[in-house]
Amino acid sequence: MRKITSPSCLALGIAFLLASPLIGAQETQPAEKGSPLRYEISVELDNAGKMLRGREGIIWRNQTQDEVTDMWFHLYWNAFKNERSAMLEESREEGALGRSAEEEGSWGWIDLTRITLSDGTDLRPTLEFMIPDLPAHPEDRTVARVRFPAAVKPGEEVRLEVEFESKIPRTIARSGYYQESYFIAQWFPKPGVYEEGKGWNCHQYHMNSEFFADFADFTVQITVPAAFVVGASGKQMSAVSSTDGKTVTYTFEQARIHDFAWTADPDFIKVEHDFVAAQDVTGQEYADLSTKLGLPAEELKLPDVKMILLIGSEHKAQTERHFKALRAALKYYGLWFGPYPYETITMVDPPFRTGSGGMEYPTLFTAGTGVLTDKKVHSPEGVIIHEFGHGYWYGLAANNEFEEAWLDEGINTYSTGRVQGKAYGPGMLSASLFGWPLTWLINFPRNFDYEFGRVAAIMIAERDPVTTPSWLFSSRMSYAMNVYMRASTCLNTLERFLGEAAMLRVMRAFQMRFRFRHPQTQDFINVVNEVSGQDLTWFFEQFFFATHNFDYGVSRLRTEEKKDLYLGVFDVEGRKEEVKQKDVAKGEKADQDKKEGQKTYFTDVTVRRFGEAVLGGEARVKLRVVFEDGSEEVRHWDGRDRWESFQFEKPAKAKFAEVDPDLIWLIDSNISNNSLKTKAGRSGVIRLVSRLLFWVQNSLHYLSALS
Amino acid sequence: MGIVKIFSQGLATTARKGKLLAFLWPVYLLFALFVVAPFYVLLQSHFSRSLLGEKLFAGVDMLWIGDLVYKYQELPPLVIGWLLGTSLLFLVLLAFLNGGIIGRIAAAEEKVTLRDFFGDCGRYFGRFFRVFLLSLVGYFLVLGILGRFVSIPFRVWSKGASTQWTTLISSSLRLVVFLLLFSIVKMFFDYVKVALVADDSRKAVRATLRNFRFLGRRFFRAWALFVIVGLLFVFSTLVYLAVAKALPKAGLGPIVLFLWQQAYFLVRLWTGVLAFATEYHFLKAYRPPT
Repeated sequence: MRKITSPSCLALGIAFLLASPLIGAQETQPAEKGSPLRYEISVELDNAGKMLRGREGIIWRNQTQDEVTDMWFHLYWNAFKNERSAMLEESREEGALGRSAEEEGSWGWIDLTRITLSDGTDLRPTLEFMIPDLPAHPEDRTVARVRFPAAVKPGEEVRLEVEFESKIPRTIARSGYYQESYFIAQWFPKPGVYEEGKGWNCHQYHMNSEFFADFADFTVQITVPAAFVVGASGKQMSAVSSTDGKTVTYTFEQARIHDFAWTADPDFIKVEHDFVAAQDVTGQEYADLSTKLGLPAEELKLPDVKMILLIGSEHKAQTERHFKALRAALKYYGLWFGPYPYETITMVDPPFRTGSGGMEYPTLFTAGTGVLTDKKVHSPEGVIIHEFGHGYWYGLAANNEFEEAWLDEGINTYSTGRVQGKAYGPGMLSASLFGWPLTWLINFPRNFDYEFGRVAAIMIAERDPVTTPSWLFSSRMSYAMNVYMRASTCLNTLERFLGEAAMLRVMRAFQMRFRFRHPQTQDFINVVNEVSGQDLTWFFEQFFFATHNFDYGVSRLRTEEKKDLYLGVFDVEGRKEEVKQKDVAKGEKADQDKKEGQKTYFTDVTVRRFGEAVLGGEARVKLRVVFEDGSEEVRHWDGRDRWESFQFEKPAKAKFAEVDPDLIWLIDSNISNNSLKTKAGRSGVIRLVSRLLFWVQNSLHYLSALS
Repeated sequence: MGIVKIFSQGLATTARKGKLLAFLWPVYLLFALFVVAPFYVLLQSHFSRSLLGEKLFAGVDMLWIGDLVYKYQELPPLVIGWLLGTSLLFLVLLAFLNGGIIGRIAAAEEKVTLRDFFGDCGRYFGRFFRVFLLSLVGYFLVLGILGRFVSIPFRVWSKGASTQWTTLISSSLRLVVFLLLFSIVKMFFDYVKVALVADDSRKAVRATLRNFRFLGRRFFRAWALFVIVGLLFVFSTLVYLAVAKALPKAGLGPIVLFLWQQAYFLVRLWTGVLAFATEYHFLKAYRPPT
C-alpha cells in the first residue's frame, strides 16, 4: 500500500515516480491508423411532416486482416417503431415505457430506401434484420445487415450510397421533437464496429444501454427551415440560404469522432465564448500538476477551445452559469486527463420536452436546467461537467457502452465528482415543491458527489457485478446504480488507497493511451497495475467482477485492569500454591491504592470481516486504538480470515478502537461498526431525535387540518 | 359586525384563554415523543458505541445515512405502518382535543382549568368524532371528485405548453386551487363543530346540513376571516424559517434552535386556537346560539 499522507512521504513518492520508467509511457500516443470510416451525409428536416430525408455516403476501410463479406448497421430509430422492439419490450417489462411513445402518431422509425455500392450494385435485396443479442426480441428492427458481392480484403475500402427516410419520434430516449423543437440523435444508418477475428460488434438498441461505434470523419449537411437555429457535433463550415430563402443548409465537419448529433429550434439563443488556456489556467497550477504527474509542465499545456451555447430564452439568465461550469470542466479534465483535442464544444440547453436532461455526443452535449434554480444546488453545473466529461470517457477513450458501460459512466461519474468538488465544493441537496426550490427557504445539507455515490454503491453491491453487459442487469436501477455509483465509489476507494497523485497518473495514462481507441476493462486493470506498481487484480475481482459486500469492523473491545493474582493452583519453585479468593481480594484492595499511572490495563480488540469481499495484495486493514491517557496504538491486519484479535497492555484504559480511521475503504457498507467505544454516548442521537421530534410535532399539527 | 371586529374578539378570547396552549403543547410533545421513541431506540442501538454517532451531532451526513439505509432497507414498510397507525390514532385524539378547545372558548368562565378542559374533551368527543367521519366524506367529494374536474383545464394548459413557465404556473395555480378548496372544507367542518358546542347539540348530521345554509349566506366573510388566520400561520412560518436558517450550527446553536422550534410550534398552536375563536365569534355574531 502506498498512500501518501505527509510531505515527506510525498517527496519520497515523487522521487520514486520520477525514477520510474513508466512515466514516459503514460503519454503514449494511440496507434495512428486513422479513422476506418468516413461519412458524407446530407439531410433535410421536414418540419411539417416531422420527417428526415437523407443521403449518406459511407466509406469504410478494412483495417483488419479479415476478409469481410458483409456490413452490419444500427438503425436505432426503429427502437421507437412499435412495442415489439427490444427497447420497448424491455421498458414494458420494467413498467418504464415513456408515455410519449404511447401517444398516437408519436412513433419513430427509419427506412433504408436505397443502398448500393459506389458502382451502383444494389444491396437492398441482401438486406436482412439481425437479432444478435439474447434474450431474443425477434421483431426488433434496430440491426440490419447487407452482404457484399465480393469480400472486402484487408486494407481495401468500400463505399456505400445510402438513402434513408425517418419519421422523427415524439421525444423518447433523448431523441425526437416537441412542437417545433428537435433533438436529433442516433438518427443515421451507422455501421457497427468490425472486430478482427470476431466480426461485427453491433448490438440492438436496449433500454439499459448506450452506444458503440468506430471513429470516423464526418461531413454533414443539414437543411432546415430558415427560421431555425442549428447546433451540431463538430465545426460549422458554412450556412447557405436556398434561392427562395425558405431554407438554410448548414455544413458541419469533424474528424475522429464516432457519432454525430444535432438540434434545431427557432427559439434558441446562440452564445459563443472562448476558453483561453492562458487566462483560465495559472502557471502555478501547471507547476503543481507537473509535480503530481511527474510530467513536464510544457506537456500539460491546454489548447484554446471555442465554447458554443444554445440556450432557451427562458434560461437566458443562466448563460454565465453554463459557461463557468464548462470552463471548469475544460480546465480540470484537460489538466488531469489530457488536453481536449477538438476546436469546438457545443453545449445545448435541450429545448422544452425534447431532452429530459443531460446526454453526451462527440463535441456536443445536452445539459438541462429549470426556470427556477438555486446557486447552492449545483445544477446545471453537475450535469454540464458530467456530459462534457463524457467527451473524454466515451468520446475519446471510446469503450463499448453496450458491454462495459462502467468504463465511461463509472469513470466519468468519478471524474465529475472530482471536478465539481474542486471547482464548487459540496453542493446542496436539491428539493423542490411544484417546481419551486425549497432550498430558498431551508438549508438542506451539503455533500460531495462521492458521499451520495457510496449510498447507492453499498445498496446495490450484491445485485449484479459492475461489469455485467448493460442489457443483462437485473433491473434498470441495478444498471444505473452499478455502472455509475458503484463503479465511481470503487474508483474513489482506489484513489484513497493509491493516493491522489498516483490515481491521477493512472487516469491520465489510461486516457492518453486509449484515445481514439476502444479500451476494455482489462486495459484499465493493466494500466492500474502498471502505473501503481502493484498487482491490484484482486481489487477488480472483488469489486467489479463479483457481487461482494465489503464490511470490516470492530466486533469487540474489552479493557480491564490487569490482575496481579488469579484463582487456582500454581507451581511456584517446585511447590503447589493455591491462590484463594481472599488473596485476590487483598490484591485488589492493594490495587485500589495505586495511582492511575501505576496500574496496567489489558485491552483486547477483535476485528472482523463481516462481508464477503476480501482484501488482497498489499492492502491491509488499519486498526487504531486510542487510550484514555491520549496515547494510541496502530496495528495492521491482512483481512483474509474472518477475524483477528489484538491485545494491548497499557497504563490506561482503551477509549475506543477503530478500523480504517482514514476512511480509505469508502466502499465499506457499514462505517458505524468501524469503531467501538468503551462507553456509550447519546448526545448525537438526542440531537438528531430532537430534530425529528420537531418534524413530527409539525406533522401532527398538519393533521389537525383533517380533524 | 365586520370581520375585523370579529377577528379582534377572537384575538382577545385567545389571549384570555391562552392557558389552552399549556394543555395542548404537552399533549403534542408527548405524542411526538411516543412516535419518535422507536427511532431513538434504533439510532441509539446503532450508534451509541460508534464514533459515527458523534457525527449525528453535526447534522445530516451521507455516511451515517448510508449505513442506516443499507442496514434497515427492509424496514420502510414497518416505518410507514408505524407512522400511518400513529397518525390515525392522533386524528382520533384530535377529535377529542378539539372538544376541549372549542368548549373552553365557548365557556363563560374566564379561567381555563385542566379539569374543565378534559371535561369538554370527553363531553364533545362522540359528536366531534362523527363530524370527523363526515369531514372525510367532504374531503373526498371536494378534493377527490371536484378536484379532478378542476384539474382538467390545468392539465390541458400544461400539455400544450411551449415553455416550462407554463407548466410551473399551471401546477402552482392548481396547488393554490386545491389549497383553497381544502381550506373551504376545513372551515366548513370547523363551523359544524363550533355550532355543536354553541348549540350544545348532539346531532352532527343536522348541524352539518344547517351549516350549508349558514355559510352559504355569508361564505365570503367567513372565508376571509379564515384566510386572515391562515396568513398569520404562513407569516409565522416564514419568520421561523428565516431565523432558523441564520442560527449557528455549532456551540449553543442546536439548543437555541430547539427552543426556537418549540416557540414556533406554540405559535402554530395559537393560530389553531385563534381560528376556532374567530369562528365562534363569527357564529355568535350572525347566528346567536339557540
